[in-house]
Amino acid sequence: MRSVLTTCPFCACGCGLYLHVENGRIVGVTPSKKHPISRGNLCVKGWNSIEHVRHAERLREPLIRKNGKLVKTGWDQALKRVSHELLRLKKNYGGESIGILSSAKCTNEENYLLMKLGRAILKTNNIDHCARLCHSPSVLGLTNAFGSGAMTNSISELAGAEVILVTGSNTTEQHPQIARFIFEALDKGAKLIVIDPRRIELSKFAHIYLSPRLGTDVIWLNGMMKIILDEGLVDDSFIKMRTENFSEFRKFLSRFDLGQVEAISGISLEDLRQAAKIYAGAKRAIIIYSMGITQHVSGTDNVESIANLAMMTGHVEQEITGVFPLRGQNNVQGACDMGALPGMLSGYQRVDDPAVLDKFSQAWNTDLPTPPGLSSVDMLHETGSIKGMFIMGENSMLSHPDMRNVRASLENLDFLAVADIFLTETAEVADVVLPAAAFAEKDGTVTSTERRIQRMRKAVPPVHLSKPDWQIIIELARHMGFPMDYESPAEVMEEIALLTPIYGGVYYDRLETVQGLQWPCPDRNHPGTPYLHKKSFARGKGLFSCIAYRPPDESPDKEYPFALTTGRVYEHWHTGSMTRRISILKRECPEGFIEISPEDARALGIINGEPVKVISPRGEVVTRARLVEGLPGKMLFMPFHFREAPANVLTNNAVDPQARIPELKICAVRLEKVK
Amino acid sequence: MRRASGKGEMMTDKLILYKEHLNSFLRKITKGFELIAPVRNTYGDTLFEVISSVDDVRIDLTNRPILSPKRFFMPQVETLFAYRYDKSGYTFKDAADSTPRVIFGLRSCDTRGILFYDLIFQEGLKDKYYLDRRKDTILINLGCNQPGENCFCKSAQSGPFLTYGYDIQLTDLGDRFFVETGRPRGRELLAGWSYFFRPATQTDIDEQYEVVLESEGKFRHRLDFDAATDKLINQEVAPAIWEEMGNRCQNCGGCAYVCPTCYCFNIFDSPSSEKEGERLRTWDACTFAGFSRLAGGYNPRQDKAQRIKRRFYHKLFYDKQKYNIPSCVGCGRCADICFGRIDMLSFIRLICEQKERVLAPAHRRLGELLLEAGLISQKDLDLAIEKQAATGKPLGAQLVEMGMVNKEAIARTLGYQLKIPGTAENIED
Repeated sequence: MRSVLTTCPFCACGCGLYLHVENGRIVGVTPSKKHPISRGNLCVKGWNSIEHVRHAERLREPLIRKNGKLVKTGWDQALKRVSHELLRLKKNYGGESIGILSSAKCTNEENYLLMKLGRAILKTNNIDHCARLCHSPSVLGLTNAFGSGAMTNSISELAGAEVILVTGSNTTEQHPQIARFIFEALDKGAKLIVIDPRRIELSKFAHIYLSPRLGTDVIWLNGMMKIILDEGLVDDSFIKMRTENFSEFRKFLSRFDLGQVEAISGISLEDLRQAAKIYAGAKRAIIIYSMGITQHVSGTDNVESIANLAMMTGHVEQEITGVFPLRGQNNVQGACDMGALPGMLSGYQRVDDPAVLDKFSQAWNTDLPTPPGLSSVDMLHETGSIKGMFIMGENSMLSHPDMRNVRASLENLDFLAVADIFLTETAEVADVVLPAAAFAEKDGTVTSTERRIQRMRKAVPPVHLSKPDWQIIIELARHMGFPMDYESPAEVMEEIALLTPIYGGVYYDRLETVQGLQWPCPDRNHPGTPYLHKKSFARGKGLFSCIAYRPPDESPDKEYPFALTTGRVYEHWHTGSMTRRISILKRECPEGFIEISPEDARALGIINGEPVKVISPRGEVVTRARLVEGLPGKMLFMPFHFREAPANVLTNNAVDPQARIPELKICAVRLEKVK
Repeated sequence: MRRASGKGEMMTDKLILYKEHLNSFLRKITKGFELIAPVRNTYGDTLFEVISSVDDVRIDLTNRPILSPKRFFMPQVETLFAYRYDKSGYTFKDAADSTPRVIFGLRSCDTRGILFYDLIFQEGLKDKYYLDRRKDTILINLGCNQPGENCFCKSAQSGPFLTYGYDIQLTDLGDRFFVETGRPRGRELLAGWSYFFRPATQTDIDEQYEVVLESEGKFRHRLDFDAATDKLINQEVAPAIWEEMGNRCQNCGGCAYVCPTCYCFNIFDSPSSEKEGERLRTWDACTFAGFSRLAGGYNPRQDKAQRIKRRFYHKLFYDKQKYNIPSCVGCGRCADICFGRIDMLSFIRLICEQKERVLAPAHRRLGELLLEAGLISQKDLDLAIEKQAATGKPLGAQLVEMGMVNKEAIARTLGYQLKIPGTAENIED
């Protein structure tokens, strides 16, 4: 039995774990004790992160659609077909007719190579990935305010916080290892403020728990800031030295009417005042937020409001103070860093910046497309301009809102190729399916939510004929007549380091430690950066923005009287393609459900565990009712992991006009008993 | 080079192995056995590893490996057999593993963990898969001169040195190991390479005795297991403690996974087609909800608090009743890793040692605390106390029953008050 250190494939906590290999099979997991996040333990997903790797349903060989059916084929034929079809579309309709979805589950090197293939060979900037659905407002909003969209500090700093404000993050369930640092802080006497429409587990430990109505974040945030201003709790010297546009913002706040806070958000002014005083009065305070803040048509507004709050109280730019947008996927930070974004090349270098374009076209020895491309939402929800897509390791069918629309868009394509480890709902409608290697079968790097770049290491060979995505991309490029000559992911990282300033000092030999490197790491001697904006914001001065409240796109009405919000459960990961194939996790949470308050259930005559039909203007789903004490009335919650009861049949694809994130956190539905 | 005995004379059961001969001795072992020992890797972690060449690894006899060696006898995910169905019916291919192994350098807690497994897997229906992996394994125990930060094996009566159950036991005497042989196979192993050893002298024996005594005095934690068991038998653990632990538990399963005695597993089939597949077993944990959920969906232990309660009852009471020992060997691994402090060390300390300071006042003052928190009125309290005299229920339960306050509020009120005791985070370094 041997042990291979790698990084957990699920969330962006980025835990270090050992895989134990016996006779070519992974037979166990041990958390690393020296790793700064795992510290000798994992969550239930991390402990059980192995069974899916050699699951019988892994894709065994490439599949190609013949007479409407996916049939087995060889690698050569499959790649030839993908290359031929994509090049044909490019020739006939231009590169902008092709869309590429990269993957926050794949390595940095794979994301870099795929975005290179898209831009350098197919000449399209239509490249995106699931960050669109999670933290695109953070990338945009925090870049506007601070100059960098990433989490400002390191996870372990939480343990030293004086006050932690958690909003729109179900931290104990979605980032369990980060929650452990919150508990550590609590044990040392920190105060916890939880602001979330759902009475999440963490609220049991909150000194103040506030339950705003869905989609009213800008109201309570502005209210909180107005109170801080009125109470004289602003950090004047910080504002003066480090920020700009505060005078405008002060004027804006002074016009803000506190009277509307309770009416719109449902939070009493007194409670909000108490929370404001605790947060603003602390020396070291941290804001943690996640999808509850971003997945709204006002996502960017929400994020910018949080940035305003942190800046006006001086709670940023230091150790143990800052803004923590908790990233979801194990490598969603890295996929963004690598430029799997329609407007950016690796390291957030803009595609419409001539100097950047020059640098990359010289390095890649080809001309590159200039105008920023389409977001994934626009590729999947706008029929017409996109004719062909290459999707690597994303199950957009279940993860994007308004599944019927997504299905129609995918089925309308001239050509769709999908690379994945299982035949996902998205792969099922593809013309070519390429079997990819799982996390334990390949080398590479991933970047966690705290910008920590760590190694993924190969423990076992890929099953059957599957191949690591980086090899698939290289072979595809060869078929397209654009040889990519890399022997290993390490060699890809050398190119990334040369072209990407924030990764400038990232080399594989430096990653042979348990803690990896935290970017920015501009050169070989740089030790990495535990917290950002030290002494000055990345953009120079922090920018205050005046944000007016924008209501959700869809609100409950007579026909659809409930507000439905969606999310995840502790035991499963996203569209369930991995975790629902892991026996313990499957047993722990075997099927989907919808949470409803006991009062609402009683009014409808629904009993616990009973099947109910959930209907939105876009579709309907049958699932089981779960009665949950403490859930606000007229509000429902559904996890989106379950293909038999896909929450995203119901959700709304209205988007934030800036970040293009769909409003997954609120749509209007009605409930019916199933007869 | 120091002279060992050299003559291959009859082995006594007390010997000396000079440290400078250790690697040579281990190298001999690798020729006939799969050698497993704690290895400190380049990342700084110590794990039990299979060693093919003793010169290529850094055997670490200082830090406790992250997991016990139980995974060599029951891997976390284990294939039991492959099955295939055809016209003639089912055929099975067994995946048994009976490699001869030597585990070197495991501590008394881990040896006792394996002995406990032996008890479990031989009881009633003998577990072939476990016993196959176990039967040709020789355990070379290394007594602990220096207990770790969270260690409490002395309280669990499983260390720091063993008095029985080992094949071979070593005591570190500085430049040499004092070697004791226990079970016959330990003696046989040494007899094969007797020239590495010399008989122990009275000085060696005295020195070993001193080391054992000294080590026993070094424990930071002394836990009264018997008192803890009594508390459980007499149901003297405040409901608020279970509630608070339930709130803090994150359902990771880590406590069971790192525990040297936790043996629960789940069995399921993994078909690769309609006609063939494999039967697997995986580690399970009693703190998981699905562990106790019944076929119809009803779960008698739906709340985390109930499952945690059951876990401690199992370890400290049921197993003690059945086997006369609690199923805790005091290795302290759960205390190392549980941020929620729902570990054996914190639990026993909480219910025993701090009873006077924390528990009793909390009991006495529950009414007062709830009054302070504005959760009940004086009138409520008086009424509940009056009723309590008749029902004999604890005050909290009485208040809940009368609908004056909910359980969560009581747990929170007491939780802030109780302050579950702190434990050190990391035993290493």
